Amino acid sequence: MQENLKRPLSVIACSRLIGGVALLVPAEQREEWKQEWLAEIWHRWQFLHHAGIWDWLEACRLVWNCLGAFPDAAWHFSSDHPVQNRIREYVRSPWTCLGFLGAALLVLTYVSSGLPATRALFGFGANHGPGRMLYIWRHPISGGGDKGLPSDVAPAWAQHSALLDSVSAFTVSYQPGFAGSSHPPALLIHSDPSLFRVLRVAPALGAFPSQGIVLSDEIWRSFFQRDHRIIGSKVQIGADSYVIAAVLPRGFRFLSREPAIYLVTPYLGLKPTMVMARAKPGISQSKMDKELTRIAEVSTYYFFQSELRYSYVDDEIHTPLSIFAVAVFACGFLAFAASRIRIRRLRGAFQPGSRSAMVRRGAFFFAKTALALAFVFTAALEWLRPESAILYGSRDPASGPFLLWLYILGAMGVFFWSLADQRARCRVCLRLLCFPVRIGCPGCLLLDWSGTELLCTEGHGFLHVPHLAPSWEEESGQWISLDESWKELFAEHR
Amino acid sequence: MVDSAKLSHTAALILQTIDQGFSYGFDIMDETGLPSGTVYPALRRMEREGLISSEWESEKKATAEQRPPRKYYRITRAGSEVLELSQKRYPLLIRLVAKSRR
Repeated sequence: MQENLKRPLSVIACSRLIGGVALLVPAEQREEWKQEWLAEIWHRWQFLHHAGIWDWLEACRLVWNCLGAFPDAAWHFSSDHPVQNRIREYVRSPWTCLGFLGAALLVLTYVSSGLPATRALFGFGANHGPGRMLYIWRHPISGGGDKGLPSDVAPAWAQHSALLDSVSAFTVSYQPGFAGSSHPPALLIHSDPSLFRVLRVAPALGAFPSQGIVLSDEIWRSFFQRDHRIIGSKVQIGADSYVIAAVLPRGFRFLSREPAIYLVTPYLGLKPTMVMARAKPGISQSKMDKELTRIAEVSTYYFFQSELRYSYVDDEIHTPLSIFAVAVFACGFLAFAASRIRIRRLRGAFQPGSRSAMVRRGAFFFAKTALALAFVFTAALEWLRPESAILYGSRDPASGPFLLWLYILGAMGVFFWSLADQRARCRVCLRLLCFPVRIGCPGCLLLDWSGTELLCTEGHGFLHVPHLAPSWEEESGQWISLDESWKELFAEHR
Repeated sequence: MVDSAKLSHTAALILQTIDQGFSYGFDIMDETGLPSGTVYPALRRMEREGLISSEWESEKKATAEQRPPRKYYRITRAGSEVLELSQKRYPLLIRLVAKSRR
């Protein structure tokens, strides 16, 4: 192979590729690694050329084979001890812990399409006009279970109430095979025309009718492909057909995200209805109850005291916040009581010499606990969507006991994990302690306590954890600081 | 040294190919049909485990022939023992490489 051939483009490309990928290989192995790959490329090209079978297909195959240099270089990279040590250091770092929790929140945001329930919780009521929106239902004296109100009560309240700004009655049902299609059953709200006046919403398309169909933005996008020409067209609901009159704006929510179709008719029939109303500002509930009971009596319905129940929508929406606050407070108290943190030790930790380290530890503890609690709060909220509880009655488990238990368990887990994680970290640099070593003899308890010692890789100290702590010991782990003289030794072995 | 039970079929195939006398990366790729991204990391791992050893050919010889020197892989004694056990575990291994040589 003595003749001096001009290197083809593919061989030049492969050589450049190897040159670039070689940067991944640790410096001490780089030249040898490059030499091996370049020699293989050269020999392959020369062999095929002299055999007379070098063509564009072989050139492509050579480039393809050279792509294997990436995993090969990656193997060298990951097998490199300094790199492995650096990865271990990253894993132990307090920033990795915070980053992981932040990433979990981001994943949750992505999976839930932007945390809609959480955004609704914090943004609800911002654009809903003056007065408080409330939901009225009947809780019977005997028999239990929440019931709807007689269908003629809401019109009477609308006509005679001086304390309510607007009132609307509605019923909820599922509409299978919407518009004769294979669309899954859509949640249908059958209401009188005043519903949108109570909700203080303006249509995105068309105008609210006295009789007709109003579509949610979601169904307009998914089922009607954002067709503006659907206004005025007819769809079949049950035995009757109705004109589509309007489309609601994007992001509009009626107690939940689910309602897809609003059927508006002046008369709702004889079925019991649910009632949405908007109270005038500054009206107390007892005053309103008196007035509504009196008006209902005129319409021949007598409600016993506390039979009519009122739920202010903004209060209901914010219920998860109060439940969460109770759960966090209770669990935080329990966790700190169980973790045997002594005030005397805390006071000692705030001495001038160790104050900055204590502040750093405290800040890290609060940051990770806050992030983990935020994750628990949003995950449970997005999973249960408790705002829909109002729509299906006040006894929905999502807004009550289930959410409370979920928050209690979540908060308990977060506090105990935070405390355990905090104890497993260096008191100075907050890195996770490593290299656990068992010490002592388990059979000689009276002579020497057996235990495990964990070390800080920076040489700040080690944690002695006895396997069997006597009752007079205040804390299960004992931190032993190492002085400056040890640092040199640790730096050598890093 | 690795336990032969842990040697994957691919690694055993590469070891068998080296034992048959195919001694450099691209040659092993041709014989086994495995991509370079599999063969080279496997070679590195087996070299680290002591199953194979590598050796650069004589610089003088390569320079005389006006070509770059190549790196050759050889099976070690430990590698032969592991291969023997792997052949019992994967009975078709011998036939696979023998077939490719014909």
